[in-house]
Amino acid sequence: MLKVTMEMLLKTAALFIIWLILSGTSHPFNVGLGLVASFVVAWLNSGHADSPFRLVPALRMLWYLPWLFGRIVQSSLHLTALILHPALPIAPTLIYYRTRLQSQAAIVLLGNSITLTPGTITGEVNEQELVVHALDEESGHDLTTRRLEQKIAHVFQEQTSSE
Amino acid sequence: MKFFFLFVLIALAVLILVYLYRVVQGPTIYDRVLGLNGISTKAIILLVLIGTVYERVDMFVDISTGYALLNLVGALAIAKFLEQRGSV
Amino acid sequence: MSALAIALILAGLFFLVVAAIGMLRLPDVFTRCHALSLTDSLGAFLVLAGLAVYQGFSLNLLKILVVLMLIYLLNPVIAHATIRAALRSGLRPWRRESP
Repeated sequence: MLKVTMEMLLKTAALFIIWLILSGTSHPFNVGLGLVASFVVAWLNSGHADSPFRLVPALRMLWYLPWLFGRIVQSSLHLTALILHPALPIAPTLIYYRTRLQSQAAIVLLGNSITLTPGTITGEVNEQELVVHALDEESGHDLTTRRLEQKIAHVFQEQTSSE
Repeated sequence: MKFFFLFVLIALAVLILVYLYRVVQGPTIYDRVLGLNGISTKAIILLVLIGTVYERVDMFVDISTGYALLNLVGALAIAKFLEQRGSV
Repeated sequence: MSALAIALILAGLFFLVVAAIGMLRLPDVFTRCHALSLTDSLGAFLVLAGLAVYQGFSLNLLKILVVLMLIYLLNPVIAHATIRAALRSGLRPWRRESP
């Protein structure tokens, strides 16, 4: 039996907006086809994840992404200075980082944020241990001070300070 | 404005040559994969620029979307293959 | 409007050139991957944002934003897959020899 959930409707809306932008017509047949297609895709892709869809993290994400973009710009400028420096003062290291985040979605977001920030790349993820390659001390600073992790814990409403 | 876009196009083509050097020269095979990935990012930008020059952005954006998705599939397949083969 | 577009595109081109220089100068796969992520994050962003500004407010602007979003979503995946394959096949990161 087809059970329509909130998650499905939100995914349908997101996919449908992309359909409208990419197709660029307002012909009724086209729009109807897009509605059907995006609902089918959203239906096939709902309810499998370990962590169920929650609304509060999705809203807090909108606050997290601009912060992450600011960090990306800062570390890009740092990396530019490193590359253009005549002596090439880099000191690459592998950081073995143990996170306290619990849910899969939070760890995925952590790994993705690390890779997206220039200067650090996630190499391997085993359960809660991440292997991160950092270009120099300062690039990995956000990670070693656990600042990034705390931001993500705030997004997903998890605890990191205990233990 | 058109001259400026042509200048940017030529600059991007020269950058692609730099990445091509990395693909041909790169000591390990992973350098070559990375070089290909860099070329594809440049190609996406190049396609949108060509669309702007010919004033057909709507069409060229679709092409570059397809290019980005195909590049993802190709790069993941190569990475997975190299990982399972397990030698440098 | 087009002055802003030119400024954005030139700034983006600067970062693309820096990334290409990094591609040539840096010593091994892992460090080169950082240079590549510089291209994706700021170079492509600024150039595409400049083109979007040049389009003015229209459907084309939204389409270019879709491409930009796609770049931001897909490139970390590719970088991670390549680096993971390199790590698993036994490649070790380059280190500066201590004198």
